Amino acid sequence: MARRVRTTKNLAQRMDLQYFKQPHPFRTWRLWLSIVVPVIAVGWFAAERASSQKILSSGPLSTAHAVLGKKCDVCHVTTLGVFRAKVSDDACLKCHDAPAHHSDKVTFTVSCGFCHVEHEGSLRLANTDDASCTQCHADLRTRSGNPQYVRVVRDFDKEHPEFAALRPGMRDPGEIKLNHYAHLRPTLAGPAGPVQMDCQDCHRLALTDVSWPYAAPQPTSRSTSQSASQSMSPGVTADTGGDSKHTHSHDYMLPILYVDQCAGCHVKDLQFDKRFDEAAPHDKPEVVQAFLIQKYSEYFEAHPGALSEAVAPERILPGSMKLPLPVPHSRQEWMDQQVMLADRLLFDKGCKLCHVMLAGNGPLPMVAKSSIPARWFLHAEFDHDCHRLLTCTACHDRTPESRETADILLPGITSCRNCHEDSGPRHDAASGRCSECHSYHDWTKERPTKGKFTIPQLRAGK
Amino acid sequence: MRIDETHRKWFIGSLAALLVAAAIYVPYSRNTPQGANGGTAAGLTYGSIASALMLFAGLLGARKKVPIWRVGRAQAWMRGHLWLGFLSFPLILFHSGFHFGVGLTNALMWLFVVVLVSGIVGAILQHCMPRLTTQRIPLETIYEQIGSVRLQLVAEAEVVVEEASSALAGSVSQATEQQRAAAASAGTMGGLTVASGLQVDEGASAQLQEFFRREMQPYIAQGGANGKALADRNQSQAMFQQLRLLLPPTLHSAVDDLENICEEKRELDQQTQYHRILHAWLLVHIPASYALLLLGAVHAVMALRY
Repeated sequence: MARRVRTTKNLAQRMDLQYFKQPHPFRTWRLWLSIVVPVIAVGWFAAERASSQKILSSGPLSTAHAVLGKKCDVCHVTTLGVFRAKVSDDACLKCHDAPAHHSDKVTFTVSCGFCHVEHEGSLRLANTDDASCTQCHADLRTRSGNPQYVRVVRDFDKEHPEFAALRPGMRDPGEIKLNHYAHLRPTLAGPAGPVQMDCQDCHRLALTDVSWPYAAPQPTSRSTSQSASQSMSPGVTADTGGDSKHTHSHDYMLPILYVDQCAGCHVKDLQFDKRFDEAAPHDKPEVVQAFLIQKYSEYFEAHPGALSEAVAPERILPGSMKLPLPVPHSRQEWMDQQVMLADRLLFDKGCKLCHVMLAGNGPLPMVAKSSIPARWFLHAEFDHDCHRLLTCTACHDRTPESRETADILLPGITSCRNCHEDSGPRHDAASGRCSECHSYHDWTKERPTKGKFTIPQLRAGK
Repeated sequence: MRIDETHRKWFIGSLAALLVAAAIYVPYSRNTPQGANGGTAAGLTYGSIASALMLFAGLLGARKKVPIWRVGRAQAWMRGHLWLGFLSFPLILFHSGFHFGVGLTNALMWLFVVVLVSGIVGAILQHCMPRLTTQRIPLETIYEQIGSVRLQLVAEAEVVVEEASSALAGSVSQATEQQRAAAASAGTMGGLTVASGLQVDEGASAQLQEFFRREMQPYIAQGGANGKALADRNQSQAMFQQLRLLLPPTLHSAVDDLENICEEKRELDQQTQYHRILHAWLLVHIPASYALLLLGAVHAVMALRY
């Protein structure tokens, strides 16, 4: 087939030169869509705006505040009937009334929203960005000019100082004589033969209800100060020094109690006389003394021939009394002698095994406060439960070899850095954010708040 | 518009601007406690620059409406529309801190994605399709003229058929000069013995007219294939070959003309398809762009007011 020749002139001549003035479906569609689509968009905005302020939201709320998703003006307080994007601190303080961080010392205090950024999705608002902290702590300045803390802390990876308790010159303030090495030996003598103790036999988290595995807690005599001795060993620092919300959690180890952790094996050290099955109470010397007087008084009443009974040799502690012992002729002399022998055995031997005994104001000694810190991190928080997949010695690696009470067995920051990094989950590591351990607010000083909303006020528009 | 060497300066300029913006964004994002967002000074700056670029890109429509404006060449505007419009998207991401937000901001971001994607598709099509059209459609015409050209083709075909039919019906006076010249000779053409001179064949005339009326005219007069056999090049060739066998060689040139007209119609149909592909994205891009600019203005007012 021969193709027909179409010259440019032929082609041009068949054109209608006014073609662009005629309507064309494509141009018509384009025109109408260009009108209709923007009108629909603006109409949608107007309709949404009329029903709620949510259309102006910059992002989804955090999980904790999601319930307020339809009631923007709970936080975006209306002032004179005008909705405001900026949330005032007063709106936050309606529910979270915590004091600011060192407000008396720092040169300025930021607003709540400066650190706790909302509308970023289901994040924990307490997980603030490090920059919130380093804006001050990268070069800390206080009103006095001399901050009591390290002046420059920029990150966890490189510029975080060693934990305060581990800095040079620091020692464990505890006064309880405890040899971790001896207690962790495989040949340790238990109540029914050798035992191999584990850290968790003594160091337990709150709410853990597991009985001691080697012997049931021994019934020790309890006296007037029973409640005190039951709650903790004498002098244990009960103040956790931090967030009261966490004291009942699994974060921290419970204080070691004589009754729960020690008595199973050490009750024999409070035995004072074979004539009694009962051991002396683990309590203040005055209480022990009163217990002994009561016991010997009862014994004398029940045994009229007690005056003529010989003193058992194991009750005499060499070097602590003049020998030979005088023969008692009256009930009072007998009582004084028996109580004196028991006092020496307990206060000069049994108690001293673990406690430091000090000279008292009267005839009785004083027990030095145990002063075991319940929390080593006074300005940071730690959650043992979150670290439960690790063995204790993975972090507390010096413990099995520690022989001295003064040894601080807290792991150093290097140990934490094995897993925690500033970049955190982005580099398959645990977070190294400041907020991971530090809390800006002192929640122990949290002021109670009163509810201000009804359910319809929060959920209107649902 | 083809994306060729003439775009190099725009490309390098846009890339440099993007790199500068990104270089500023990284430390800004890292050092902003609450993270990068539109409310900070830097965020507002990114948003303002991106809005200005979007507005400039949107002004291309106005520039086209008033071609006599002495505000730079249309091609420069087109290149600016392409590259600065493209640059505005990462700037908006820097503005928002790479968050899509909810509500109005979410709608704006998705509108922008629609505008960007449709724009990229359009740029690719505008780069590739014109060359393809030129290669495959030698007789390309103005798209809006296709309907008019189709009617002209129908008229041309009617004339050809009328002349051939007249010749077959014995009305030599109405035959073409070519047909009359052919009538003076005799011999063989294409392996077939042909008679000398025009021979009266009313049956063939009727068949030719029947073919034109039933097959060819409906096909040419309307756009698209409409299920007609002539829309298929192979079937069309077979049908016209049969027509040649039916008609004396002196009328084969008329058959060639008719076949050419059908071929031109097929090209017009193909041009229509190409045109739709080449311009359909505009039905998304332009309305979405207007909606984006309008809601963007609302967003700016709301953000600054509150």
